[in-house]
Amino acid sequence: MKNRHALTHPVEFKPIDLLAVAASREVTDGDVVFAGTGLPMLAIGLAQLTGAPNAVCIYEAGSVDGHPISLPTSVGDARCIYQASIASGLFDVFNQLQRGLVDLAFLGGAEVDRYGNVNTTGMGTYGIVPEKRLTGSGGNSDINGLAKKTVFIMVQEKRRFKEKVDFITSPGWKIPKWPGGEIVDKKEVYNNAFRGGPEAVITNMGVFRFDENGEMYLSTYHPGSSVEEIQANCGFEVNVSRVQGETPPPTYGELDYLYNTIDPEGIFLS
Amino acid sequence: MAPPKQMNLKDAIAQIQDGDMLTFSGFTIWRRPMAAVYELIRQGRKDLHLVEVNGGTHSDLLIGAGCVKIWESCWIGHELFGKIGANLARKAEAGEVVIEDYSHLQILYRMAAGSMGVPYLPTYASLGTDILNPKYDHLGQMGLRDGSHPKIPMKKYEVVKDPFYGGELIHVPAVNPDWCIAHVQMIGEGGTVRVDGQVYSDEEAIKASDNVIVVAEQVVTEEYIRREPTRNLVAGHQITSIVELPWGAHPTGCFGCYETDGSFINKFFTRTRTQEGLDAWVQEWIHDIPDFNAYLEKVGIETLETIRANPAFGYSTKIKRGTRA
Repeated sequence: MKNRHALTHPVEFKPIDLLAVAASREVTDGDVVFAGTGLPMLAIGLAQLTGAPNAVCIYEAGSVDGHPISLPTSVGDARCIYQASIASGLFDVFNQLQRGLVDLAFLGGAEVDRYGNVNTTGMGTYGIVPEKRLTGSGGNSDINGLAKKTVFIMVQEKRRFKEKVDFITSPGWKIPKWPGGEIVDKKEVYNNAFRGGPEAVITNMGVFRFDENGEMYLSTYHPGSSVEEIQANCGFEVNVSRVQGETPPPTYGELDYLYNTIDPEGIFLS
Repeated sequence: MAPPKQMNLKDAIAQIQDGDMLTFSGFTIWRRPMAAVYELIRQGRKDLHLVEVNGGTHSDLLIGAGCVKIWESCWIGHELFGKIGANLARKAEAGEVVIEDYSHLQILYRMAAGSMGVPYLPTYASLGTDILNPKYDHLGQMGLRDGSHPKIPMKKYEVVKDPFYGGELIHVPAVNPDWCIAHVQMIGEGGTVRVDGQVYSDEEAIKASDNVIVVAEQVVTEEYIRREPTRNLVAGHQITSIVELPWGAHPTGCFGCYETDGSFINKFFTRTRTQEGLDAWVQEWIHDIPDFNAYLEKVGIETLETIRANPAFGYSTKIKRGTRA
């Protein structure tokens, strides 16, 4: 039996495993975490089994601090409320978000820019007749606006990491102030409800963070990837002046939890 | 108010007129009134205006079948079983359906305001996004906010100064749909509604609507449902019509009763990426079938027994979900 705390080697884990593990390491013990469907569910489950046993998970459909013994496939799943403190509804959990109770949230997106503005609404020209319609905001925009910290999990592709996203669905650090639309700091728009914003973007190639000016920089690259590969798969020039080296790979214990405790059925980890 | 009438699905749905504004119970692929949606399509309803807290399989189907003119919401898809609402995307990209985007919290507050009887609610939700870009106020761009449409507010939203503590936020307008169609686990003969599991945004959707059709897994006596009033969500005087129809949310899930039929939804998603595919699906699963009992026979007892919920958990312990178990 290998030491559970020992780091695995690149051939021993899949990219998706590292995404889940890196995301789970963003959780601080005691955090109130808003999680969406898919990888975020793996991340919060793993965090609760490792460094953050007292983290509270809220699912958008209306469940608080559930302890599923069977992995939910969506946030509305009946599984979410097993041993939950409350099964409620959207009005309860979104009000908690607006009230400032959410420390951390995991989100996704189709496109992102250097300020953490994310698009999940439409690609190309948007309008009454859109060029290519996506799912829409869901709670992404509300959560990114009102949680203290958000972490995005995304696919690293040049067409997804853009100088300017086609539609700002979800507000990053520099955003339009309506009705005029001038681009200003998030703080100026959110005023009394400002409490933070995007903290990290985790992709299949690396982990990005945001500097004092709300601009994205590369923090670590995953084992097997490189600064060069990441720049080649990014539509804007990445700040690489703060790269700390490789993202620590999963430990044997983390992989064991992911495959044998959290997702033994192979729903997301096929 | 007159007490709600119990009726069959066909007669209940026949009350809804072309052009009416509709909303629904549930969340994405959970507790959606699917049988009612099939019936709306069977009856050929047109020009519906959907305002829903979020979309899912039910609305993507209704839109694909050509029943809808305007969709106001924040999200549509089939979760793990279909990554986008491909029917809405196709119809919108063809200019046949107009989308009005709100964020989840914003549209929830629109429904909540409607349920409270106030004209708007303040919120900080999704400030600084293109959802608030005047260019994407589609109903406004189309001249529909001129006050002549009683269900369409004269503004999409309004930026306001907080008059009490300073700062700035927005008001979002109330919405009062003509109809809410809700699928729930249990209703009393007098209309007392009980929802088990997450209530999603059912309370706001039901209470905001002018008329409510409740499709229930079971209709029970009022005496029974009133033994535990703390478990009940809405009183009978806010309900218009009652339909008893077990499995009526299939293929979406219903807490405590049955699981989401993910395989069915995934096949729907895969087959209906094109209009031809959608038309063939509607022909096979709606027009070629006389009623919901025949639909359930086509789904098959084996599937229904597999997705039936285990009472210890509220979900099925028999369904195969992943690739390894």
